[in-house]
Amino acid sequence: MTRPVGKPSSLRPWLMSTLGGWVDGWNRIGEQTAFYFQSLRSVGEAVVKYRTETLRLIAQMSLGVGALALVGGATVIVGSLVLNAGFIVGLVGYPQFNRIGVEALSGFLSAYVNPRLAVPLICSFGMAATIGAGATAQLGAMRINEEIDALEVMGIRTIAYLASTRVVAGLVVVMPLFFVAQLASFVATKAIVVTGYGQSGGVYEHYFNTYLRVTDIFWALIELMAQGVVIMLIHTYYGFTASGGPAGVGEATGRAVRTSLAASIFVTMAVALALYGRSGDFHLAG
Amino acid sequence: MVTTLSKPVREAGSFFAMSVDILVQMVRPPFAWREFVYQTWFVARVSLAPAIFLAIPFNVMVVFFLNVLLVEIGAADISGTGAALAVLTQSGPGTTVLTVGGAAATAMCADLGARTVREEIDAMKVMGISPIQRLAVPRVAALTLVAVLLTGVVILVSLIGCYFFSVYVNNVSPGAFVASLTLLNGLRDVIIALLKSALFGLTAGFIACYKGFTVGGGPQGVGNAVNETVVYSFVALFVINTLISGITAQSVI
Repeated sequence: MTRPVGKPSSLRPWLMSTLGGWVDGWNRIGEQTAFYFQSLRSVGEAVVKYRTETLRLIAQMSLGVGALALVGGATVIVGSLVLNAGFIVGLVGYPQFNRIGVEALSGFLSAYVNPRLAVPLICSFGMAATIGAGATAQLGAMRINEEIDALEVMGIRTIAYLASTRVVAGLVVVMPLFFVAQLASFVATKAIVVTGYGQSGGVYEHYFNTYLRVTDIFWALIELMAQGVVIMLIHTYYGFTASGGPAGVGEATGRAVRTSLAASIFVTMAVALALYGRSGDFHLAG
Repeated sequence: MVTTLSKPVREAGSFFAMSVDILVQMVRPPFAWREFVYQTWFVARVSLAPAIFLAIPFNVMVVFFLNVLLVEIGAADISGTGAALAVLTQSGPGTTVLTVGGAAATAMCADLGARTVREEIDAMKVMGISPIQRLAVPRVAALTLVAVLLTGVVILVSLIGCYFFSVYVNNVSPGAFVASLTLLNGLRDVIIALLKSALFGLTAGFIACYKGFTVGGGPQGVGNAVNETVVYSFVALFVINTLISGITAQSVI
């Protein structure tokens, strides 16, 4: 990125460096696109040929490695993040409903906000932080230690073996994460409204059951699966292209988190708008 | 058995010890002003673009589902209130947290971790320079300051995004949207939002500095440290958010 030392200064250095930066950025986008297509194309190969590796990655991702395994891995971390989001729904929603005198509808709030907003949005942060950043750290370390080059010399297709298997694993791990998260959000909101604010459990249950829609939960799962694929693709790319020693791995992890947070939220919004449509697919009166 | 149990306790203890060190050093005279200015510029540069790119889709999605609800009960005119309530109390500080934790704290941890692995920190200690005073204090202060400033930017960008989405997609009248912005929200909510972000920045800074100084084991170690920084700061920030929301919600009723 910086100009090599010892190169003679060119005509109009400012213009040249700006143009050079644009060309570099353009080329990087092309490289990323090529990488994403290649790893998506090799998904079949990953499932058929590298089945044991894929299974190993699924187990590792859902339970975590190193210090994160001590606190329970991705499942527990995503669950606890969503638990907090569920608390917030209750804490913010109940007083506002109370102001206009419809606090009986708190159960409806939980059934509406949790599957549509809280779970898809919070899960994408949780996944980027846990399974995504973990994958970048792992692959980056392999790149720095020249293990990826060694695999290539041995004739193994590295993108299929390392990247596509992780994409498949990410897609599978999403499901337990989703169920834990969905359950945690419902439990948390109910705890705040019924135990915290003292609403009767029967009233809460009635409106919750009336307004809970199975399709909402199904759409949330689809949003999460799209996020899982996007997050794993971005994080494996940054891990694959890490350079510059131990510091480079850390830098690549940070950059990958930054990119995947914005990208996965954008994908979630696009999928949500596509699935629910402009009217929102919701009828209060049934 | 005892060692596996004592390890997390020891970690937590040394984290608190370092945090207290940083807090004490922060008010003790020699303050590294030059490093502070440089770090503030660095944090702002790293997190401004992600914050804006994250805030727009996040808040558009929130306001989309709020508007669906409001249109259904025939209260589309007050969609500005819903947007302002969601952005000011939750998603504005929330988006700032995620950017500060995900973008700035990771970059900071990677930088400090690289210095630790290259034994630059040990060299500083040998020369009698305190790494806490020279490196950690300005970083934590910079993260706190930028988190507060970033909240303002995020709230402004989000409200503009919500305005365009409500007016052009949900056909809310522009005047009604703007007029109802301050119906339920006032100065109190703005102050709470800014206080929240200051706390978030402080906590993320502590975690990034602690993880950066205690890195070990080459490339994989630095990668893991950055990974743990993101996870721990997200969890800590969410818990803080819940606690503050609980405290401030109680006083409403």
